Amino acid sequence: MTHAEPQESRVDWEGALVQRARSGDTRAFERLYREHAGRVHGLCLRMTRDAALAEDCTQETFVNAWRALARFETRSSLSTWLHRIAVNVALAKRRKNRDVEQVVESPDEDAPAAEWILETPMEVQDIEIAIGELPEGARDALVLHALYGYSHEEAARMLGIAEGTCKAQLHRARRLLRDRLDLEVA
Amino acid sequence: MDKVKSLGELPRAIEPARDLWPQIEARIRASQADAAPAADAGEGVGPAALPSRGARRFMAQPWLAAAAMVASVALGVWIGRDLLSGPRAPPVAARAGATVAAAPGGAQANPAVLDAPTALDAAFVSDPRFERQRAALLQSLQAKIAALPPASRARVLFSLETIRKAKEDLEAALGKDPGNALLQELLINTYQDEMRVLTDVHTAGDTGRGI
Repeated sequence: MTHAEPQESRVDWEGALVQRARSGDTRAFERLYREHAGRVHGLCLRMTRDAALAEDCTQETFVNAWRALARFETRSSLSTWLHRIAVNVALAKRRKNRDVEQVVESPDEDAPAAEWILETPMEVQDIEIAIGELPEGARDALVLHALYGYSHEEAARMLGIAEGTCKAQLHRARRLLRDRLDLEVA
Repeated sequence: MDKVKSLGELPRAIEPARDLWPQIEARIRASQADAAPAADAGEGVGPAALPSRGARRFMAQPWLAAAAMVASVALGVWIGRDLLSGPRAPPVAARAGATVAAAPGGAQANPAVLDAPTALDAAFVSDPRFERQRAALLQSLQAKIAALPPASRARVLFSLETIRKAKEDLEAALGKDPGNALLQELLINTYQDEMRVLTDVHTAGDTGRGI
C-alpha cells in the first residue's frame, strides 16, 4: 500500500491557503497559524527570553501578518516572511523596555562558519540556558544564523543592522559560548 | 533528555504553552469590525476589509456562495489533522463529533462514490503521485472503515459524505464559472481534505487511533 506524503501536499496547498486567507477566510488563516506557530513562537521565545512576552509577540506577529497578507508575495517563503514580522515585533517590544545596546561594527573580522559544533554532545536545555544568557544583540544574531539558518545578510536585514555588525555579534556569541560550552566552529 | 552536537540541531519550533489562536482570532475579528466603516470609505485594513472585485462578484452570486459554504463545512469537518495536531490544538474528533450531532441525516454515506474521478479531478489534481496515492487508499477504504470502532466509523463516513457533497457542488459551480479562482482553490483544498481523511483512515488501525 502506498502511503500518502502529507509533507509534499502541505507545500502545494500553502499558497491556496494564503489566497483564501487574503479573501477573508479566517479558517484558512488558522491553518497557516497551526502550521507556523511553533517556529514563530520558538523565535520569539529565544529573542525575548520571557514566556509571556513571547506569547504576546507570537500573537502580534500573526495579527500583523493577517493585516499585511495582501502584501505578501506568494512566490517567497511564508515562514521567512513570518519570521521577519516576528523579529520586528520582538525588537519593538524590547525597545519599549530599554535602550538598544550599541555594538561596534567589526567588518574586517571573518564571519563564523555556519556549523556550530559542540566538542561533546550536550543537553538541549543546557544549551538553551547558555544562549539565553548571551547579550541580546549577540543572541539575536546567533539565533537567526545558527539556529534558524539565515545568512548573515538575511539576519542583518531582519535585525535592521549592518552585515558587519551582525558578523561581529556572531563572533561575540561564539566567544561567549565557547567559554561556557566548549564550543568549536567547524 | 535529548542531547545535541551542534546548535543547528536544536528544535526550531517551540509550541506555546497554550493555544493562542482564540485571542488572535478575536483581534482579527475586532480589526475586521473596525475596518468595516473604513472599507465603506475605500480604505482596506485587513484582508477582508475591502473585498476584491472578484470576491464581490463571487459573493453576489448565491450559487457560488452556497458552494463555498458547503466546502467550508467540509473543511471544518476534517480541518488539517496534521496542522491541528499540536498539543493545544482543538481535537479534530471533537469538532467532527459536534458537527455530526448538529447535522440532520447522520452519517450514512457511501464512500464508494469517491472512487469516481471526474474530468475536474484531472484538471485540479494532476500530480500522478497524488492519483496513485489516492487510488491505493481508496482500494482498501471499505475494509479499513469496516474495521473502525462505530464512533470513528460514523465520523469518517460523515466527513467523506460532506467532502463528496462539497466536491459535487464546487464542480457544478465551476461548470458555470470555470475561471473562478476562489472556487478552484476551494476545490483543491477539498481534495486535500479528502486525502487527509483517507490517510488517517489508512493509518488509524482497528482501534480508530487518531480519528
